[in-house]
Amino acid sequence: MTLPKGFGTGGGASSSDVSKMIGRRVEDMVGLITGAFVALWAGTWGGVAVACVYYPWAYPPPSAHFALTVLTIIEAIGYLFCVKVVTEGTSKAKTYNGLIAGVIAAIAIATLVTDCVFFG
Amino acid sequence: MAQMPALIPKEVEIQRLKKIWLIIIALGSIAASVEVDNFVDGSLHQTSIRDSAFTPAHWWLYSHFIALPLGWGMVAVYDRKVPILRGPNNSMNTGLKMTILGYLATMFTIGVNEMWHFWYVEEIFAVPNHWMFNMGVVVAFMGALAYVVRVYARLVELGAETPGENPYVAEMYKMALEGKLYSRSIP
Repeated sequence: MTLPKGFGTGGGASSSDVSKMIGRRVEDMVGLITGAFVALWAGTWGGVAVACVYYPWAYPPPSAHFALTVLTIIEAIGYLFCVKVVTEGTSKAKTYNGLIAGVIAAIAIATLVTDCVFFG
Repeated sequence: MAQMPALIPKEVEIQRLKKIWLIIIALGSIAASVEVDNFVDGSLHQTSIRDSAFTPAHWWLYSHFIALPLGWGMVAVYDRKVPILRGPNNSMNTGLKMTILGYLATMFTIGVNEMWHFWYVEEIFAVPNHWMFNMGVVVAFMGALAYVVRVYARLVELGAETPGENPYVAEMYKMALEGKLYSRSIP
């Protein structure tokens, strides 16, 4: 097997070469993915808030509720897929099911509270 | 299922394919979110026919036409680290090429669309500038489907994903791996 320059010692790839070629492993990215999901949802909330406050004639409360709710569902599905893709089939025993359930439940509650209290 | 030659260690290839998969999920979520914006933008245009390019529905719509080609461009850059995903003559994968070309067409159409609405204010769905958006997106979606099937089929072959149990679906993966899903000559 031909390895890139700087890898291997002539006798094929060693495990440290493989680790170097991989860099950060996907199964170690769950924290990053969770942070990105929460930040994305907060950004979505902010975008909807801007639309409601500055363009109330064009974005009445039903539009805001629709946009925030459906976008939250799309983002949550993406988050679930990402965590499942990075953890399934790896040697890591953790499934992160509890984390996924907790984060999505928290975001769902925040969305419902927003729909009831904010945006009209 | 035919085994493709491994040019990089299997573990490295799985990790890289999964990183590509993560970017694709993010881009797919953006594309899905724009379906929401179709309603938001549509309801806006029913109340105020053509307002301005800078309303929240348009920020969302136009920024996705820039975010998606850039995102697929990132996939194309990272894709070079996975030899099995190369296209004909060691070029870019054909599906990826179609996706980027389709979204580049939509980026170009942003300008065309603004000129159209400057001169002809009407904002109905069937004006020609909107055809260009729709045709670009359809070309991009077709290419993205071909690419996603290719990545998925390789993950199946490497044992990182469970293959389809339905024999017809399994046959489709096999054909994708052999470069015969869409054509016998275009891998």
